[in-house]
Amino acid sequence: MAALCRGRHRWKRTHCLRVFTRNLTAKYDYDLVVIGGGSGGLACSKEAQLGQKVAVLDYVEPSAKTKWGLGGTCVNVGCIPKKLMHQAALLGTAVKDAKKYGWQISGTVCHDPTMAEAIQNHVRSLNWGHRVQLQDKVKYLNIKGSLLDEHTVKGLTKAGKETVLTAKNIVIATGGRPKYPTNIPGAMEHGITSDDIFWLKKSPGKVALECAGFLTGIGLDTTVMVRSIALRGFDQQMAGLVTDYMEAYGTKFAWKCVPKRVDKLSSGALQVTWTNTQTGAEQKDTYDSLLWAVRAPETKALGLDKLGIQLNKETGKLIVGADESTSVPNIYAFGDISEGRPELTPTAIKAGKLLARRLAGQSTELMDYDNVATTVFTPLEYGCVGLSEEEAEKRHGKDGIEIYHAFYKPLEFTVAERDASQCYIKQVVCERGGDQKILGLHFTGPNAGEVTQGFAMGFCGATYSHLLQTVGIHPTCAEEVVKVSITKRSGLDATVTGC
Amino acid sequence: MAHRLLVRRMWTLSVKDIRCLSTSTAASSSFSTSLQSAKTRVSFLSPSRTLPHTLPLTSRREVSFNVQDNEDFTERVINSELPVLVDFHAQWCGPCKILGPRLEKAIAKQKGRVAMAKVDIDDHTDLAIEYGVSAVPTVIAMRGGDVVDHFVGIKDDDELDSFVSKVIGQ
Repeated sequence: MAALCRGRHRWKRTHCLRVFTRNLTAKYDYDLVVIGGGSGGLACSKEAQLGQKVAVLDYVEPSAKTKWGLGGTCVNVGCIPKKLMHQAALLGTAVKDAKKYGWQISGTVCHDPTMAEAIQNHVRSLNWGHRVQLQDKVKYLNIKGSLLDEHTVKGLTKAGKETVLTAKNIVIATGGRPKYPTNIPGAMEHGITSDDIFWLKKSPGKVALECAGFLTGIGLDTTVMVRSIALRGFDQQMAGLVTDYMEAYGTKFAWKCVPKRVDKLSSGALQVTWTNTQTGAEQKDTYDSLLWAVRAPETKALGLDKLGIQLNKETGKLIVGADESTSVPNIYAFGDISEGRPELTPTAIKAGKLLARRLAGQSTELMDYDNVATTVFTPLEYGCVGLSEEEAEKRHGKDGIEIYHAFYKPLEFTVAERDASQCYIKQVVCERGGDQKILGLHFTGPNAGEVTQGFAMGFCGATYSHLLQTVGIHPTCAEEVVKVSITKRSGLDATVTGC
Repeated sequence: MAHRLLVRRMWTLSVKDIRCLSTSTAASSSFSTSLQSAKTRVSFLSPSRTLPHTLPLTSRREVSFNVQDNEDFTERVINSELPVLVDFHAQWCGPCKILGPRLEKAIAKQKGRVAMAKVDIDDHTDLAIEYGVSAVPTVIAMRGGDVVDHFVGIKDDDELDSFVSKVIGQ
């Protein structure tokens, strides 16, 4: 009897509550059901629970080799492990620089797989943290959700047990997953994706830009095969500087090459055959590991076609309005799964919170997707906010914009005798006269993320004269942003020297 | 066969009960002989010793163990006659690795008067959430299925000794 009482709190609370609410005149089990427990889904559900009954469904369909806990891509196989591995690579470079600064480091410094476990432990602590944050606020269900109709979600547990939930509003925030190219024989059996790279117990042999960057940084021979251009959608001049630096740093690039097949050799190595689209030649080489760095939205198991939810045919993403609504009323989508949105965690979090407030009737504020700052954490980091040069030219015409730019050398690189030829700042400014409102800011250099963040704040309405009025912090790389004075149009040498 | 069955039933009772049983039961000679042998066999057992695995048992006497699943938790913690300290820990938690051995030491000092159940919160997340664990290490003390005490974070050896003594009721 005593045992039974203790177990009381173990009964499925929702089961009792669901029956209870059904017996009252409440129409739905929940006010809001969020499918997807990643950056966006969790932010939305936690914001919504103030005043509403919310459930969040999170389920990870393991890729061929790996599975993980609550938190989505960012926490488990994205931003977090990526940045930590990037840091590992930076430290490797720092150790080399250290010798030039007088540190006595004997022997060669090499990298071992203990990093992977340390990173995984941190990720697990975040999984737990997210779980605790939901407790008592949001109903968390580790089930695979799919839509039955506009107010009904079906959930499937790992064991195959089915649950059905009804909700007034449904939000889809399932994000993206890496995509194995199905048309390339051997791709799936022999390759891994970024899902797996962060969880490998032993280091891979050879691997897209951030992954390739940190893999090179920890001492692995890495090649990046690029179909057409790198960093599509980003300012291409800046993308070029990033890849130039990586090539100088030791990463190999196979430009304009398309993989054709992957075979496993008797030695265990992988032989990749590809076509060089420039020369037309077919080439092959062997590698220890192959990483597919292409992503696609996670929509196939959702049952969207049944409800007639519109998708972009090319990308497969959900077409959404400015308020995150889909073509079906009371079903919303945001984050990586929605068309035309930046694939970033902070935008998903903010959009999720604003959506939750709108659904609760607390606000009408829409998410502003313009002027979102972002950083690519390649060995030479690239931070940007606002428009690329290409986009600014498209909108305002080449004559309508002024571009201030400068190459600079981080002070720390001097003693370390490091090449700084790709450290560069570009401000894309509108209106050659008048206010000179700043449209875009681009920065390559160490700590680009830290540098760009502050400038992002000034972006709504910042003008060139504001920048000129700002006093720089010395000696930093960031101060170079406020000192830029040479225009592209002038044709003058933009290599700025000394203080 | 009957003899073996009788012995098995004896083992599921607490030592105290068997002592009472052996003095008060009036039975046939065969019964009393078997009781005698059962008693000897039971007294041969002490909680800290591992039991011969030829005979299946419903309650085990290991002092410190890892919880396998919810049923295991019910059986060995909630239904335990001994007070049990439940150590909620995680692989990624540095302080847990310090507290763990200290707890083992404190438990061992009590020579079988208290047991310790170890729960990895990543393997048993729902159980940890159910008991309100948010930070680790969290140690909860249970007696007769009730939570009687708890603490969060590291304690030194003396603090642990007094915590454990309090739980046992000394």
